[in-house]
Parts: sequence; C-alpha cells; structure tokens
Amino acid sequence: MGNFLVWVLWIAAAFACLGSGIAVVSFTNPFYSALALIGNLGSLAVLYLLASAEFLAAAQVLVYAGAVMVMFLFVIGYLGGRADAPFAGGPSWVAVGAVVVSAALLVEIVVVLGLKAGDALTPASDVEAAFGSPAEIGRVFLTDHLLAFEITSIVLLVAAIGGVILGTQTRAEAELDEAGAAQTVDGWRPDAGA
Amino acid sequence: MLGPDPSWYLVVAAILFSIGAFGVLLRRSPLVVLLSIEIMLNGANLALIGFSRVHGDHDGQIFALCVMAVAAAEAVVGLGIIVAMSRRRLTLDVDQFRALRG
Amino acid sequence: MIQGAWLCLLAPLAGAFAITVMGDSIGRRTAGWIATLAVFAGFGGAVAALVGLLGHGEEEREYVSTAWTWLDTGSFQVGLNLVLDPLSATMMLIVTGVGGLIVLYSVGYMDGDDEERRYFAYMALFVFAMLLLVQGGNFLLLLAGWGLVGLASYLLIGFWHERPEAVAAAKKAFVMNAFGDATMALALFVLVWQTGSLAFAESFAGTEEMSSTALNLVALGLLGGAVAKSAQLPLHTWLPDAMEGPTPVSALIHAATMVTAGVYLICRAHPIFEAAPAIQDLAAGIGALTLVVAGLVALVQTDIKRVIAYSTMSQIGYMFLGAGLGAYGFAMFHLMTHAFFKALLFMAAGVVIHHLAGEQDIRQMGGLRRLMPFTFAAFLIGSLALVGIPPLSGFFSKDGILASALDAGAYGYLLFAAGLLGTLLTGLYTFRLFFVVWGGDPSPLVERHAGGGHGRQSERAASRAHGEPHGGEGPWTMLLPVGILAVLAVVGGWLQIPGVWHEFTHWLEPVAEPLVEPSLGQELLTSSLAVGFGLVGVAVAWLFYGARRREAPDARGVRDVLEHKFYFDELYDLAFYRPAVALSALWRRGIEEPLIGGSITGVTLGARRAGTLVGGAQTGYLRSYALAIGFGVVVLTVVFLAVR
Repeated sequence: MGNFLVWVLWIAAAFACLGSGIAVVSFTNPFYSALALIGNLGSLAVLYLLASAEFLAAAQVLVYAGAVMVMFLFVIGYLGGRADAPFAGGPSWVAVGAVVVSAALLVEIVVVLGLKAGDALTPASDVEAAFGSPAEIGRVFLTDHLLAFEITSIVLLVAAIGGVILGTQTRAEAELDEAGAAQTVDGWRPDAGA
Repeated sequence: MLGPDPSWYLVVAAILFSIGAFGVLLRRSPLVVLLSIEIMLNGANLALIGFSRVHGDHDGQIFALCVMAVAAAEAVVGLGIIVAMSRRRLTLDVDQFRALRG
Repeated sequence: MIQGAWLCLLAPLAGAFAITVMGDSIGRRTAGWIATLAVFAGFGGAVAALVGLLGHGEEEREYVSTAWTWLDTGSFQVGLNLVLDPLSATMMLIVTGVGGLIVLYSVGYMDGDDEERRYFAYMALFVFAMLLLVQGGNFLLLLAGWGLVGLASYLLIGFWHERPEAVAAAKKAFVMNAFGDATMALALFVLVWQTGSLAFAESFAGTEEMSSTALNLVALGLLGGAVAKSAQLPLHTWLPDAMEGPTPVSALIHAATMVTAGVYLICRAHPIFEAAPAIQDLAAGIGALTLVVAGLVALVQTDIKRVIAYSTMSQIGYMFLGAGLGAYGFAMFHLMTHAFFKALLFMAAGVVIHHLAGEQDIRQMGGLRRLMPFTFAAFLIGSLALVGIPPLSGFFSKDGILASALDAGAYGYLLFAAGLLGTLLTGLYTFRLFFVVWGGDPSPLVERHAGGGHGRQSERAASRAHGEPHGGEGPWTMLLPVGILAVLAVVGGWLQIPGVWHEFTHWLEPVAEPLVEPSLGQELLTSSLAVGFGLVGVAVAWLFYGARRREAPDARGVRDVLEHKFYFDELYDLAFYRPAVALSALWRRGIEEPLIGGSITGVTLGARRAGTLVGGAQTGYLRSYALAIGFGVVVLTVVFLAVR
C-alpha cells in the first residue's frame, strides 16, 4: 500500500518536474519562466526525498527555491519594464540545430545509461534509515570531503565578491542613467564604460 | 526500496537535461538562458542522487551539494552581468552581442 | 727610454680620448690644441726613446717591452708588446714630428668648421693607430694598427660626410684597404700555422724551416697588404679619390705616414721577403711600374691635390723599388724625406686652397707668386726636393735608391731605367703644376681673392659661412709648420751624403742589413743622370707651361688614356662591380623574390585566406557557439561509445 502511494507521488512529481521544465523554456515572459522554475525545483525536491536524500531536498527548497529564485525574481522585477527577446531568432538553422542537438543529447544519454550502465543500476542497494540525513551528510562532508567543502566555500565567496563588483554602479554608468533613461544603446561598445 | 528503480530517476534526469539544453540553445533572453541552465544543473543533480541511491553511498549527494553551490555562484555572476548590461542600456538579447564575429 | 716609447704611443690615444669624452664642454679650438699637445708629447717621448737608443751600443739597440699577455691560447701567445729599435724609432719620430706639425696646421686650416672636435679626435686617433702599427712588437699588433689606420683614414676621408663624393671616396679607400688587410691576415694565419708565433723575432727565426711555397704565400700576403695600404698598382685607385678629405689629412695620412706603411712593413718583415726572392722582385717591379704609371697620370691631372697624390704614389713606388731590392736604408730614408717635402707640398697647396676659398682646379689658378711669396718659396722648395735637385733632401734619398738598383744585376738595370724615366716625369709634372699655379699673370679667380684671402677653408660645401677675412697668406698656425717643413725638406737629406757619410743607412743596419751596397761610382753616376733627367723635365715643363713658348703636345689617344688613369677604375667597374651587381640582380629576381619573399607573402596570404574561410564560422551569435559546443559533445559521445 505504501509502495503504491510512493509510486503515485513519484509519477506526479516527475510529470510536474518535466512539465514545469518545458514551461520554463517556453514562456515568453521571464517572470513566468522563473515561477515555473520554482515549481520545477519543488517537484525535484519531492523526487530527492523519495530517493532518500532528505538533506538535499531541504537544501533544494531552502537554497534554490528560496534564495536563488528570489534573487532571480528580484532581478526580473528590476528589469521588468523591458521588452523580452523573442523566443527564437537569428539564423533559422540555430533553431533547427537546437532541436536536433538537444534531441541527440537525450538519445545519447539514454543510450549510454541504458546500454552501458543499465545492469549496474538495478536493483538499488539497501540502505539504513539514516541514509541522506543531515547528520550523515554533515559527517561525510566534514571528513571524507573536507577539501570539496572548503573549495565550495571559496567559490561562493568569490561569487559574492563578483556579484558586488558587477552590481556596483560606476560613475560613467550613473551619468548614462542621468543622460536619458529611455535612450537605448544597441550593440556592445568596448569603450562604453571608460 | 519503495517506488520506482533508480533508473527511472535517470530517465527523468535525462529528459530534464535535454529540456534545459534546448532552452539554452533556443532562447534569446539571457535571463531565460540562465534559468535553462539551472534546469540542466538540476537534471544533473537528479542523476547524481540517483547514482548515490544505487550505490548506497553519500558521495553522489555531496557532489550534488557542490553543484548547487556552483549553481548559486553562477546565478549570482550571471545576474550581475545582466544587471550591468541593462545599466549600460544594452538590449537584453544574446544575439545582439556579436563583436566576436569573424 | 722605453717609457718614452710608451708615452709616444699613449699620448695621442689619451688626446683622442680626452677630446671625445669632453665633447661640448671644450671649445673647438681647445680640441685642436689638445690634439696638437698630445701629438707633440708623443714626439717628446719619441725623442727620449731616440736618445736612449743612441746611448747604447749598435748591436744592443733593440728592446721589446711587454705590458701584458692579452692573447693566450695554448702554445700561441701574443702580448701587448712594443718594439723599440732604430726602425721603429725612426718611424715614431716621423709620425709624431710631421704629424704634430700637421695637426698644428689643422688648427688654422680647420678653424670655423662645425665639427672641429670630431676632426681632431680622429687625427689623434690616427696618430695613435699609426704608432701602434710601427711600434707593435708582433704581427698581430701591427695588423691591429694596420686596421686602425685604415679606419682613421676612412673616417677622415669621409669627414665632410654631407658630400657624396667624400663618402664614396671613403668607402672606396676602405674597401681597397680591406682587401689588403685580408691578404695580410691570411699571410699571418699561414705564419702562425708554420711558425707558431707572431712575434717578430720568433717568426723570423721560424722562416728557416718553412717550405718555399709557404714562404711565398706569406710574403705575397704581406705584399698584398702593403700594396693596398701604399696605393701601389693594382690597388692604387683609392688614393686620388681620398683627396676628398681635408688637405691636412691628405698631408698626414695620404702622403707622409699611412701610405708609407707598406714600405715599413717590407723593411720590418725583410727576413720573410728575403727568403722569398721572387716576391721581393715582384715588390720592386710593382714599385717601378707604379712610379712610371703614376707619373704619367699626374701629367694631365687638373686638381692640385690629385697631382700631388699621384706624385705620392710615384714616390712610394721608388720606396717599394728600394725596399724590394733590399736597399732598406735608402727606402726608409726616402720615406722620411718624402714625408717632409710631400707634407710641405700638400700644406702649401692647402694654404693656396684656403686662400682661394676652396678652389682646387689649377686651371683657375695662376700668378699667385706675388700674392703669396712665402707659400711660393715653400712650394718651390718642396718641388725642387721632389724632383731631386741637390742639395735638397729628395736628391740624396731618391738617388740612393736608384744607385742601389744599379747594384742589383740585370733586373736592376731595368728598374733603374724605369726610375730614371720616373725622374723625368717627376720634373715634368711637378713643374707643370708649379708653373701653372704660380707663374704667369694672376687669373681672374686669383684677382678676386687678391685683397686678403677669405682666411677660411671652404673645401666644404659652398654654404659654409665665411668668416672675417684677414690679411697675409694665412694664420701663423698654418704658416709655421710650412716653414719648419721647408727647412726640413732642405736639410733632411744631409744625414746621408754619398762618399761623405751614410748615417741613416748605418743607423738602420742593425734592424735590416741592406742587400745592396752601391759604390761611390754608382752613386755619382746615378746622381748626375737623375739630376740631369729631372732638369730636363723641369725645362720641358718650363717650355710648355712656364714660358708658354710652345703649345703642350696634345695627342688625343694618349691624353684620353691618361685622363682616365689607364682605365683602372673602369676596369674594376667592369670586372668586379658590374658582375656583382648583375649577379645580385639575378639572385634577387631568381631566388630572393620568388623563393624567400614569395614564401613569406605566401604564408601571410595563405593564413589570411584560411582565416577568412574559417572566420565565416564566427557568426558572433552566442547561441551558435553554444550549439557548436553541444554538437561537439554529441559527436564526442558517439566517438567514445564507438571506441570503447
């Protein structure tokens, strides 16, 4: 009985996940795309839980759906008045190529996983109840994978600094802001910030 | 284990990854490109967690955690660039940045 | 004594160095005085060395002073050593004595030139180089001095570097001399290979064990150097062109000292030449040929300095004749007296040129006698000495050489005949010049400069600013050396009077024992014949140019040949220059442009085309790049799958 419930939950989560993913890609308004991505992340968290990754599921919701997506929405709101770029464009072969390449990737992943590693993937090994719990993850992270932990912290620190630098308004940009809010400069000018 | 085999997780992960790749390749708005990248990363994360479950080992989950940190960092920088671009009144369209054309 | 020799060598170097280092901080005149002082200090050192030598016995008059060994490769060592013996002492005295007078003369002559400091630095450098040449105690130092005098000569011929002719002349002199330097260096290689030493005494001792082929090669190489440096046939063409330099340079380098270095070399290396008699005879023959050819060419020259330049070649021909016969004493004696009277002639000519604001064409001159009596007298003395009229210096030295030829067998008679013909030519061309320049009525040009000369040498470009005119014939710095040299040209020959004393040859005997010893009878015969021929020449010149009783004969063909200097320049142009240019053009068209240039342009063109081709893929669309990356991933995955 429990197994049936799990199956139902899994299938619902999987479809929600894929559906919201398609929605992210296909909505023309980035605000809706971001909202769809939050749904995507939430349904992924359910899948994580079912794969006995409790800590990761929690982190997914807290860090991703919470912090990162709030940042996304904030930026989208900041840029809100702008017209969004169309769905496709540029040379037509780019759109065709996008379809072909992503389809080929899907096929290849399935082929690789199915043909080369299929036997090793089933059945799942038996695990204790504590598998994936915060305590276990914390223990492993701070013992076996301490270096990865530290490097991650440095990556985050650097990213934070980079964000601050990129977000700081330079004087030239401030003047540009004052000069005319409606004026739009097309194309990239390497010397624009001088 | 309850529910489907880990291989089903991988199928979902593969489709998710392809959807993300499709979005990256097709969309012109840098914001949506970033969102699509997040989908790709999450697809990879799902696969990692699936592998972790297969082996009964925490290494995959640790890897996924690191990927999340990297994703957060990437989002910060990417959004910072987008904001800077908008400050300079550049059109938010990746097709407009063609200074490198041959 | 030996300190004197070192002082003599180093004082001019110090002078050149001081002028160079001080640069603008000293006046232009001061530079001239520094150079004069330095050279005369060298003269003082030379006199001290001479006095020291005289204080010793005849057989002890050879000292080698080594400062340090500066080349030490296994068994082969070369030191910085000076040799002090009668030969080098004589040369030191001539170089610093005459050189000092000429540098003093330059102070007046070059006054007002923009680059006087450079001039005097070069002059001092030249004196140093010449002293290194004559004082060097081994062949390597001699070669170093040999090259350095060539350099100084090059720099001074091309001193007025804004004049294309001067630059071309300097280049010509350098190339011709480089040829001689090369043969000399080759000779020295053979010498080192055969004897293992370049020190004079040791390598001379080693010649006894050398094969005659090797000896001939060494002697020929040394002779090549001597011929090029002394402007003998067939490497003589640079000397007349070298007259593009300032006149004091012509006097010092191209009359008194450097061009006579070949004679010094033959005397210094006489054991080698004596061991290779064929080459020795060749040297004498070259001298005889040169003295006749140069004398003939001098007959038709119209540039006052070029006449004297050809005369110099001719006189050095006498020295080569003497040195080749083994009459080293007479050759050196003639070298010395020639230094006196030829420097005198050049400097007197310089006074004239100076006075006439740079005019050198004798056809523009005439009647200068009354205008410049002092210079006229000096020029007359120089001319008489050159022709060999007793009791002037040229008489004693030239006749000694000719008398030696009489003592050298059948070949000697041939050389003697050539020498006598030479005296006739000497009288003719010398007094042609003399009568044209000084005799007759003042020419229009002379009239214009009659009221006191410009007092400014204007050999340089016509745009040279002319300074304040002054009365008289020139500044005292110019006239004093002329006067001193005039006295020397008179009395210089009295060191050696046939039948009375032979001081000079006796003095040099410890270094170079002469091979021929003319008897008193031969000397008297020669003297009367030579003076007779000389006077005939003078008389003919007087007929044609002095009294103008008769038109000078004008045979068209002969005149052409002479005016083209026997077509040597044309011949070299045809034999070397044109083939080289043609070959270069051929290489350029056939190899450089298609192969070397073509490969380079081909590479750049190919790279550019390939870039344009590949550049088409660089659309600039970010998404197309992402697509390419994705495509690459797809392909790579297929590859990995297929390979595994």
